[in-house]
Amino acid sequence: MDTMKTKTSVNMAVNLGKLKLKNPVMTASGTFGYGEEYADYVDLNRLGAIVVKGLSLKPRLGNPPPRIMETAGGMLNAIGLQNIGVDAFIAEKLPFLQKFDVKVIANIYGETYGEYIKVAKKLSIAKGVHALEINISCPNVKKGGVSFGSDPKTAAEVTRQVKDETGLPVIVKLTPNVTDIAAIAQAVEKAGADAISLINTLAGMSVDLKKRKPHLKNITGGLSGPAIKPIALRMVWQVLQRVSVPVIGIGGIMTTEDALEFLILGAKAIQIGTANFINPHATIDILEGMQNYLQCNKIKDINQIIGTFQP
Amino acid sequence: MKVILPASFGEPQPGQFVMIRISGLYEPLLARPISIYSFSRGGDSCAIELLYSVVGKGTQILAGLISGSQVEIHGPLGHGFAIDEAGKNVIFIAGGMGIAPLSLLTEHLCRDKCFAQSAMTFYLGAKTAKAVVGLDKLQKLCYNINVCTDDGTLGKKGLVTQVFQKDIKKYLPENTAVYACGPKEMLQSLAKILSGSKFPSQVSLEERMACGIGACLGCAVAIRNDKGALAYQRVCADGPVFNLGEIIWE
Repeated sequence: MDTMKTKTSVNMAVNLGKLKLKNPVMTASGTFGYGEEYADYVDLNRLGAIVVKGLSLKPRLGNPPPRIMETAGGMLNAIGLQNIGVDAFIAEKLPFLQKFDVKVIANIYGETYGEYIKVAKKLSIAKGVHALEINISCPNVKKGGVSFGSDPKTAAEVTRQVKDETGLPVIVKLTPNVTDIAAIAQAVEKAGADAISLINTLAGMSVDLKKRKPHLKNITGGLSGPAIKPIALRMVWQVLQRVSVPVIGIGGIMTTEDALEFLILGAKAIQIGTANFINPHATIDILEGMQNYLQCNKIKDINQIIGTFQP
Repeated sequence: MKVILPASFGEPQPGQFVMIRISGLYEPLLARPISIYSFSRGGDSCAIELLYSVVGKGTQILAGLISGSQVEIHGPLGHGFAIDEAGKNVIFIAGGMGIAPLSLLTEHLCRDKCFAQSAMTFYLGAKTAKAVVGLDKLQKLCYNINVCTDDGTLGKKGLVTQVFQKDIKKYLPENTAVYACGPKEMLQSLAKILSGSKFPSQVSLEERMACGIGACLGCAVAIRNDKGALAYQRVCADGPVFNLGEIIWE
């Protein structure tokens, strides 16, 4: 760990507008718990940012099991936003995260505009939250989530309302389960989003042939993992054509090369999701791999490769 | 299968598991949770043994490994069985691969906790004689073993829970602890048999997992909490061992 620090002469810091990260490696919401689950495996100080599990106004039980199913090169999940609620997060989880020199981003979820606003307000006055990521893209809940994110008007409206209530930078996390993701991106940018992250999981399902039943109790779930990376790259590319706010690339990033591909396209940062499940040290492995890549190619600053894609 | 590990691998508690995976493959993507069957330490390494039956892609690949292959092991994970004081009778009820954590527990109680072998009774069930594993080792640890198979090819014919139920009057709840592991249906019928009785009963559950460390919330089990309300706990991090009475079955 220390050897890495001394070895590193490259600049890894990136700016997402007002939000400055020491490096572009973030954790994807829902794959890194509240941070503490990974503290034995990862020096949290080294991460660009931790995006915590989606928080709602009241605690949520989540969906009945079975909740996950492996698929070819990926996995389906239908957790249903099980979380301890925003108050318990602030009281019980945030103090732990404050011990680290790391940007903490709270992913927020509501069933109504009012709920998004209340959660945003509570987190804005809590100490130790550096930005909000609005989840308008969860495919596994009956109300809220993707229903806000699949229409440019509602996506813009929730963004505007949250922006009005917080001084924190606001990232909007988009769903790929739409016809024109770039139109949604433009709408939330116009509504004041400071950055856009994409993609959340793709709606999918899996059938148990023996039982003639769905593998997931929820029937449908969200697909993640290496299988979705080409779709994520395509969507990040499409969004980058149409917005000027910083874009955060998410979707199937398992290796350093995967992460660099998103940066080359023009994403300012990336989020690691499913890879954390397979290798709890994935974030650091990818970060170190990026540093090595820059050194080997004699590039002094990560920003020099961002957006260098040549179509 | 036996896996040689570096000495830094912590000594597992009976009931703990590992996540096992073939390095570098995206297919299958996820590691598989498998209960630890045995643990030994020697020189500058240690070794664990895992029992599994081939049920899908992951276990099929494990079964195809040749001696000397490399695997990724993450563990020991989860909470093992809580152990009552010596002097109690102990009943083990295992179905199929459920023998793995209970065999390790038997070993631990005999060797480390000085439980009398005469105080332990093992009920071991499997589909057929061929599916019975670990019996040789178990016979060295425990005298009272009741083997049964669904088709009667070894031991008594019938379900392990039925065989236990016939004996239940032999035991007093106040000085007997029950430990069980096996398929969901077996544990569910055990829950019915023991409901209303006062036997302290712990079971080790199995569930599909992605991370094994409490982050993905994929391995949820419905539990009745202190207030009597339904809550989901994580089999990986809150378990895999739970008190039988607190589990809500569908």
